[in-house]
Amino acid sequence: MTGLTLLLLAAALAYGLSRATRLPVIPLLLIAGFGLQLLAEWGEVEITGEALRHVIELGLAFLVFAAGIDLSPTRVKGRERAIFHVGFWQFFVLGWIGIVVALALGYPLIPALYLGCALSASSTLVVIRQLQQRQCRFEPFGRLVVGVLLLQDVLIVFFLVVLARAADGWLPTLIDLGYLSLLVAAAAILHFRIVPWVVRKLHLDDEERLLFALTMLFLFILMAMKTGLPYIVGGFLAGFALSAFPMNGLIRGMVDSLNSFFVALFFIGIGFLCTFPPAIYFAHAALFVVVLIVVTIVLVTFIAERMGFSTKASIESGVLLSQTSEFSLMVMLAGVASGQISQEVFSMFALITVGTMALTPYIARDSVVWYLMRLHPKARRRGHKLSELKQHAIIIGYGQTGAKSLKVFQDAGIPVIVVDDDPAVIHALMQEGIPCIEGDGSQSSVLLEANAEKARFILLTLRGRSNIGSLLQKLDQYPAAVLVRTFDPQTKAMAESHHAVVVDAIMAGTEALEGWFALNCEPKISPNLPPLAERL
Amino acid sequence: MQTFDLSLINNLGLIVITAGVFALLGRLVKMPSIIVYILAGLVLGPFTGILQVDGELDLIAHVGIALLLFLVGLELSFDKIKDVGKVAVAAGLGQVIFTACGGMVLCLLLGFDVIASLFIAIALTFSSTVVVVKLLDQKGDLNKLYGRIAVGIFLVQDLVVIVVLTILAGLDRGASLSLGAVALGMAKAFGGMTVLLLLVLLASRYCLPKPFAWASRSPDTLFIWALFWCFFVVGIASVFELSLEIGAFLAGIALAQLPYNDDLRRRLHPLMNFFVAVFFVTLGVQMDLSAAHEGWKTALILSLFVIIGNPLIFIIIISRMGYSEFNSFRTSVTVAQISEFSFIFAAAGVASGLIGSEILSIIAVVGIVTIAVSAYMILYSEPLYRFCRKLRLLAPFRAKQEVEVERVYGMSDHIIIIGMNPLGRLIAERLHERGETVLAVDTDPRKLAGLPCHTEIGNVEYESVVNEIGLPQAKLVISALQIEDANLLLAHRCKEAQVPCAIHAFDTSVVEELLELGVNYLLTPALEAAVKQRSYLREQGVVPS
Repeated sequence: MTGLTLLLLAAALAYGLSRATRLPVIPLLLIAGFGLQLLAEWGEVEITGEALRHVIELGLAFLVFAAGIDLSPTRVKGRERAIFHVGFWQFFVLGWIGIVVALALGYPLIPALYLGCALSASSTLVVIRQLQQRQCRFEPFGRLVVGVLLLQDVLIVFFLVVLARAADGWLPTLIDLGYLSLLVAAAAILHFRIVPWVVRKLHLDDEERLLFALTMLFLFILMAMKTGLPYIVGGFLAGFALSAFPMNGLIRGMVDSLNSFFVALFFIGIGFLCTFPPAIYFAHAALFVVVLIVVTIVLVTFIAERMGFSTKASIESGVLLSQTSEFSLMVMLAGVASGQISQEVFSMFALITVGTMALTPYIARDSVVWYLMRLHPKARRRGHKLSELKQHAIIIGYGQTGAKSLKVFQDAGIPVIVVDDDPAVIHALMQEGIPCIEGDGSQSSVLLEANAEKARFILLTLRGRSNIGSLLQKLDQYPAAVLVRTFDPQTKAMAESHHAVVVDAIMAGTEALEGWFALNCEPKISPNLPPLAERL
Repeated sequence: MQTFDLSLINNLGLIVITAGVFALLGRLVKMPSIIVYILAGLVLGPFTGILQVDGELDLIAHVGIALLLFLVGLELSFDKIKDVGKVAVAAGLGQVIFTACGGMVLCLLLGFDVIASLFIAIALTFSSTVVVVKLLDQKGDLNKLYGRIAVGIFLVQDLVVIVVLTILAGLDRGASLSLGAVALGMAKAFGGMTVLLLLVLLASRYCLPKPFAWASRSPDTLFIWALFWCFFVVGIASVFELSLEIGAFLAGIALAQLPYNDDLRRRLHPLMNFFVAVFFVTLGVQMDLSAAHEGWKTALILSLFVIIGNPLIFIIIISRMGYSEFNSFRTSVTVAQISEFSFIFAAAGVASGLIGSEILSIIAVVGIVTIAVSAYMILYSEPLYRFCRKLRLLAPFRAKQEVEVERVYGMSDHIIIIGMNPLGRLIAERLHERGETVLAVDTDPRKLAGLPCHTEIGNVEYESVVNEIGLPQAKLVISALQIEDANLLLAHRCKEAQVPCAIHAFDTSVVEELLELGVNYLLTPALEAAVKQRSYLREQGVVPS
């Protein structure tokens, strides 16, 4: 019990630091685990290696299980092409570059393969947290990133099976892939047939549902072990079997509770078992970190733009994906367990993970994204005589609703200029022959170019409060009616102080709900009201 | 770093899969989960010998007990238990004395020698805190008056167990027991308890509120901190030679005073369920039934003594203290079993050579029978009460007939609003102004601050939260969340409960799935804003009327 208390102490410190510094918790857990090892040596506290290995085994099982539960095919519906292209190319190009760099640094082939495979996956835990903090998990690029992470998880599991048999030749590998196919088939039958039946017919309570989920987990793990596959493959497929809606939602809260506990101990355990690598490995780790970040950002931006995403969204996707994954640690751990990777290489990789995960919140900042936007090649402007425009409308920030506003003005015969700083958006507008300016709308030169002093309407569809604030200050000098869409009371107050016409989305949504409520819910709601699809 | 041996995963796999199969079969006869787990353990252990309980499994089982008692503590703030302290002490000690004396006499009558009778009597004396708390939790009655009395009684018994453990330690060492040693053990136990209680009280008043308030905005941080706190206090308790149960319970009590104790409890619950399941299965595995066939008649008599005798003495004591017949009866049936400690105690007696292995087998059979029967008695205590009343079996106790008034926590015909972002807050305020009973729910306590309506901290992904906010009784459920998974699950739960719902369709890609789930209204602020903008442009003559 003392050992467990110490592990929890280290985890509590890491979580506290993460909360205070807003850094991802995983690198802090690894560092806390390493610190605990030093402390245990110094204080002669016994934390047995066997107990730690068991903690790591269980942590891994729950980690892959939770990832599998998120693997519902409906999550990628309608976005398959973009996800496949970004995910596939990122995984393989980064993997190959990782292998080449490792070979160039003098690593033997098998460790180089492991390093390449491990470098090519990004962290679901870190990225999802970042997306949640930025409130953009369900924006198109957020969905792309989540889809890419799921694809990477699938690829990692596949390569884990291949790598585990890499030294034994092709035949054992093919046999293992055959077993893997059988397990995938079993998971698919459960996912599509049995689990929905269980939800519909058995009406399990919370405790029974948890027991059912855990039974699936350990059943698949034992099947994987019996067939000689890595046990984590079983854990992942068990998660996939349960990922059908609503079972995934019904068990997610419960599995999260187990996952938070075991995964925290898992990373502490990994940190505890790390050793201090020789100095040269620090240089190697730094090189891998640079290669990973640069290649990921450039590659993802390039492919996502080709898939129709805006430049900003593409760069954001790239920076968010530029770290190694908890699954990468799992791959390397499997390499250590099979004796194909040395302890030093594993510790070096843990350094890469700590480095890239800790850097993610910094390089994913808006300021960095804007800086990278400036490095992006500009779209070439076509000749629109903007200075001749008057009584026109300016849309600043095209966003998701820009097209609808543009149409309203065009239908009314009012000339429109769109100002956006996203090259991909500007490129698409140019293709359609719509007058546009690439640049920051809050810059005086851009407003001058858009002939803002002669405009009739200026429509702001930006989201960031600081962006809107600085822009409104500039617009105070122009006679045009400024329309601002606001989504929170603070932005609304700020816009009102600048005498802008405020379109309060929150109030509009609430009033519409109240109208529906007054009509349908007072005094009594009929549970069988028809869906109000016609509103959309 | 060595390779994985996966023995723990393998053992846990056997435990969970066997329990899963038994749970499926057990559904046919509405078998309580505890019996399912113990049966699974009996199959894996005494019947087939497939599983041996090693150090790791034992640790997991102990973690389960700690988490279970930690949760009990979290459920019971000081306010809730201070009114049952007197009855807990009286009934707890009264039952210990009665069962020990009555058991001793019965064993002597059954032909056991004095030492064996003493061991059996002590083994029969203690009821299982873990079994009862798990069942009360399953039934959702931990918060009720009889549940609180029962928990109080078991904690008093736990203190007595410490005294017995002191004696047992003396037996283990083969030392002669003096009155002084026993007195010292008792002084240590009660002194330690007092010191620990004071420490926990001071911590909950002065040390914990600020850091935990700071951590509460990050659910994972709060979760890990709470777990650390639990095992930290367990560690301090062990320094005072107090049991794991007492340490964990007091750790929970300290956090029960904080405003987010309910959310913490819900998050810890699944973790506890997993660990406690392992505990019960390993309990079954470790039961020694080798000589059970010889002493089954004796075991049956002793089981009847526990199942009937213990509740009998309880109902007398509790009803004499002014509690109603209904609550006295329901409290009494909670003690109709022996404890896991009884097995440990008997095993120590066998190891020290004071009793034979047949005694251990008898106690194991008594344990299985009493735990199984009492599980049904606790889960179905209300129908059992009505049955006993019908037969006028309770009349001789002349207990008070008026049932104590329980505080009702539930709401009905209310509007639940989930997600206190600006949209959720505005809706909550506007509907509250209309005179509706509104309950605002969010995981972040700061987002709930300053709202004029009822509030609840919680994550609606947990079924316990759904029940506690009274979703099935609600008039309308509104989600302002911008979390697709949570919204879909909420729509599903509303559909199941046939409660109308309005869900935030923050993106066009979520509309189709929400409509398939029969959502009554889609909140679309961005769309409504576009409509408003159009109205403005119409006023300006841009858009034709």
